[in-house]
Amino acid sequence: MLKYLMARNEDIPPGSAAVYWGYSSIVWFVIGTGLGAFNAAKLAFPDFVTGLEFLSFGHMRQVHVMAVIFGWISMAFGMTMMYMTPMLGNTKLWSEKLGVWNAFLWNVGLSLGLTVLWWGMNSGREYSDFPWFIDLYVLCFMTIPLGINVWMTIIHRRTQGIYITNWFFGAGTFMVSIVLLVGNLPEYFHLTGLTEAYLTWWNAHNILGLWITPVGAAIGYYTIPKITGNPLYSHRLGHLHFWSIVVFYSTPASHHLMSAPLPEWLKSFASVEGVLILVPAIAFVSNILMTMQGKWNMFVENLEVKFTVTGCLMAIPLNMQGGFQQTRAINWYIHGTGWIVAHAHLALLGFSTFVEVGAVYFGLQTIMRKKLWSLTLGNLHFWFLLVGFTTYWVSMTIAGLIQGAGKIYEVPYIDVVIAEHPYMIARWLGGSLVFMGNCVWLFNMWMTARAGTVIPAGRMAHELAYER
Amino acid sequence: MAWKTDAPMVSLTDDSTNYRNEELWEREDLGGVTTENNPVPVLVVVLVFITIITAFLVTMPLWGQRPTAALYAPYVHSMDKPEVLAAKDDVEAMKLIVAMNKGTPNDGLLERHPVTMDDLRMIRDQVTALEAKGVDMRDYSVVGDRVVIANFEGNFRPDGTRMRQQPWWDKGFTIDVFYLSNFLLWVFIVIKRLPPVTWQPRR
Repeated sequence: MLKYLMARNEDIPPGSAAVYWGYSSIVWFVIGTGLGAFNAAKLAFPDFVTGLEFLSFGHMRQVHVMAVIFGWISMAFGMTMMYMTPMLGNTKLWSEKLGVWNAFLWNVGLSLGLTVLWWGMNSGREYSDFPWFIDLYVLCFMTIPLGINVWMTIIHRRTQGIYITNWFFGAGTFMVSIVLLVGNLPEYFHLTGLTEAYLTWWNAHNILGLWITPVGAAIGYYTIPKITGNPLYSHRLGHLHFWSIVVFYSTPASHHLMSAPLPEWLKSFASVEGVLILVPAIAFVSNILMTMQGKWNMFVENLEVKFTVTGCLMAIPLNMQGGFQQTRAINWYIHGTGWIVAHAHLALLGFSTFVEVGAVYFGLQTIMRKKLWSLTLGNLHFWFLLVGFTTYWVSMTIAGLIQGAGKIYEVPYIDVVIAEHPYMIARWLGGSLVFMGNCVWLFNMWMTARAGTVIPAGRMAHELAYER
Repeated sequence: MAWKTDAPMVSLTDDSTNYRNEELWEREDLGGVTTENNPVPVLVVVLVFITIITAFLVTMPLWGQRPTAALYAPYVHSMDKPEVLAAKDDVEAMKLIVAMNKGTPNDGLLERHPVTMDDLRMIRDQVTALEAKGVDMRDYSVVGDRVVIANFEGNFRPDGTRMRQQPWWDKGFTIDVFYLSNFLLWVFIVIKRLPPVTWQPRR
């Protein structure tokens, strides 16, 4: 891939950027979940690896979170954008060279960012932990170039209409840069106090709401109709989904600070909008499930559909939790507990990851014209991910409820730590399963590139039988 | 792009534009992905409206609001009653105080925000000082061991002080209504500008 950095744009084979983004994302997924499993081990076994400052939980947590969000999730998004956007416009990617450079600079920037976090240099702001100079780098060399490539590809499409996936891609790449620009203002201008707190959570909320959630859904809108061959059930539901996520998800960041001295009217406003995120969820899930009509056998038989539909189904508990846990009535109990950690993983490791994994499997096979090397390993990956994630989510949800009870009834903190210890071990086991599954995936995709069966011209990957 | 408004529930676009759109819809290949023109299912519409109603009901400040100083003032007054002073320990004393103050409209709130004798001791002097100043105790919130001015900005009273009480409806909800109305209106228009649902693309 590196040789294409200096090649002329027209000499770079179409799809090269997508492959670069795709493999990078898988490597980051392995690294990110490996770090997560390591962190979980430190919480389950407090004597595990002590004495090294850079491996302390306080340093490692941010490295894990940023590796997963910007490494795995965002690079997988980049991968899907590099191949879905042009395909849906019956055109080529606007600049394959920009795509390759963008992936290269993304990897460099993220490596740099994680290194400084490891050294202990961070902003102290959750989900925007990078110091200001890395934030500027992320904006200038990572998200804006990605947005330019996506937008220019959409503008240069050879279709009159724009398919729903590209609405979300265009909006998502635009909104994420705005979110990162505004959300990090406290770091650029040293804003402090409540302003800093609010902008920190405005940034964190919208990274989820205007980047990860809509782009994750956009991927599902492509993968399911493309693989099943069914038309998307309803264009109208797509409108309902798109506009409701833009309108409702963009506003309510203050529900993350229900106990802070923000104006109460702002919390009331945010809280109502917070429940209304169920509207895009209802539209998305119903549209995808209705599109599956007559093809439910593929949920069992087809690996990519299995991943995508599982991710889609996870959007139901995700949004039920997200919609209601922010209300005053529930937030006072679960705020600051493991419940929130479980919910965040349901969003990132559940819904978003499963949908993305399906798209990365499908995209890499389609672009490289290579059938997946081993279905057995693919299925193993699915079950490792599903069982590992579920173990994690259930155990952390229970741990969160225990912590909530401990908080409300003023149980001594050390008693709460002891009570939740078994769930911390379960969390570590679940996280380790996910990590192992991803190692299997990396091996399988490596072998696919090297020894996957060549897909004949005019055929699609899923139309060929697996050989292993 | 001409408009037609005689049957807004069917389509807001005139027939010739709809026809051109239908032609394009059938002809166009978006990378092998196609879309149906199915209506938004009735169940989804029902769920959306249930969600909207639930969103307002579940976020009303009846649930999860901070306790006010007015809530605990009667408790503080009861601390000096002979029977409370004669209680064998704090637990029994607290039970007596709770029993003495039952039967008020605040029963539900007090049940949701229980306190101990130690909590009352920490806020006692602050509550007494505020009562001596003659302020409206509902303007003050109890936050742990502190009694502080509540974080609301209500209307001004004739004496120039500001009401600091959480209304059941605040301007946040008003903004929500404005927001939602616009959303529903514009999404309705966007959806109804499409060809009528009686038409489906032939492929």
